Amino acid sequence: MTTLDPKPAKPEGRKDPWSQLLDKVGKHQDREAYHALFEHFGPQIKYYAMANGLASHAEELVQEVFVSIWRRSCLYDWRKAAASTWIFTIARNQRIDMLRKMQRSSAEMLVETEDLWQIPGDNEDEPVTSLHRLMSERRIRESLSHLPEEQVTVIAKVYMENKSHQMVADELNIPLGTVKSRVRLALNKLKVILQDQNV
Amino acid sequence: MTRHHPDSLTLMEYSAGNLSEPHALCIRLHLDKCPHCRSRVDTLDSLGAVMMEEQPKVSVSESMFDSILSRIDSEPASEPVQPAPPRMSALQKLLGENLNELPWKRQLGDVSVLDISEKFPGQSEQVVLQKLAAGGKAPAHTHRGNETTIVLQGAFADQNGVFNQWDFVVLNEQDEHKPVAVGCEDCITLSVLSAPVKLTGRFTRLLNPFIR
Repeated sequence: MTTLDPKPAKPEGRKDPWSQLLDKVGKHQDREAYHALFEHFGPQIKYYAMANGLASHAEELVQEVFVSIWRRSCLYDWRKAAASTWIFTIARNQRIDMLRKMQRSSAEMLVETEDLWQIPGDNEDEPVTSLHRLMSERRIRESLSHLPEEQVTVIAKVYMENKSHQMVADELNIPLGTVKSRVRLALNKLKVILQDQNV
Repeated sequence: MTRHHPDSLTLMEYSAGNLSEPHALCIRLHLDKCPHCRSRVDTLDSLGAVMMEEQPKVSVSESMFDSILSRIDSEPASEPVQPAPPRMSALQKLLGENLNELPWKRQLGDVSVLDISEKFPGQSEQVVLQKLAAGGKAPAHTHRGNETTIVLQGAFADQNGVFNQWDFVVLNEQDEHKPVAVGCEDCITLSVLSAPVKLTGRFTRLLNPFIR
C-alpha cells in the first residue's frame, strides 16, 4: 500500500486558511469566518447545483449546505479532512438529499443520506492521517494542471454533472472502455489509484 | 470481476455521489471496515473538492447570507449536532439487530433468500439477502449483468478464494462459481442485481430465486 508519505509532518501538517476558518466556526461560532467561507465556497456550490441539473434549486442548495456547515462545524477536525474536501462532501450529500426528498416521502426513507455517504471525520474511530490528506489535496491540484484536457473533461462530468461513466460515454459518443481508461489514466497520475486489484 | 475491494472507478462514482442507494450501501458497509478503501475515498473526495474549485463560480448575494443567518438564529441555540453514540448503522436501520432472525425463505438445499428491494423505493435494482447454511453449498451459477455483493456475516469460498465478512465482490456473466459457506457460521450476503442470476447446474428453475 503506497498511501503514506514517510516524510515528517512539518509544513504540510498545518491548516490551510479555509480549514482555519472552518475551525473557528466550529469552536467559536465565529460569524466572520463563516461569512468568509460563504464568499469563497458559496459561488462554487451554486455552480455545482447548476451543473448537475438543480438550476432552479441552486440557491436553496447553497443555503442547505451552509446551514449544514454551521450545524456540523463542531464535528469538523482539520486533521481528518481539509475544509474544501469536507465542504465538498456536505454539498454532495445535500444534493443527494434534495433529490431523494423530491422523489419520495420521508416515511419511505429508511436510511438517511449520511448513512450511505459519509462525511469525513464523522467516524470517531477513524485514524488521524492529516499529512496524507492535506498533501493529497495539494498534490491533486498540482497534477490536475498537467492532465490532458480529455481526461479532465471526463472527471469533471462525473463530479460536477454527476454523470455515470456510461452517461459520459453516451454524451461524448465514445465507448465506455475509453471513458474508463481516461479515468484510470487520470487517477494513476493523480496517484489516487493506490492498490487496485484485477485491473 | 472485482474481488475483496471495490475498484477505483466504482469508488470514484461513490465519491461523486452517482451510485444508486443500494450500491452506495454496499460501498459504505465495506468502507466502515476497510481503512485502506476509506483512505482511497478520502483522496477521491479531495479530487471532488479540487474539481469544484476549478469550475466557474456563480455569484451569491449578501441577502442569501442574511437568510442563512436568520435560519441558524431561528434554530434552538447552541445545540450542535452530535453523532448520537452509539449510532445505528445503515444495516441495523434496514434489517434490525439479528440477521439470522429475518423472515428467510428457504430455497432448495442450503440456500435461503430474502428480497429486500422494497426497502429502496424508487431504485430499479433488485436487492437480495442470501444465506448459505454453515458448511453448505450453493449450486453453480453465472450472473447476468453485474451483481455487487458484500459479505455481512460468516464467509464463503469459491474457486477464486475465500470471502470474509465485509469483503466486496462484483460478478458478471463470465463468472461461473459454486460458493461454499466456510467456518462455523451461516454465510449471509447482500447483493444488488442489475439482472437476474442464471443457474448453470441441474436444479436450475427450482432453485433460482431470481427468475420471475
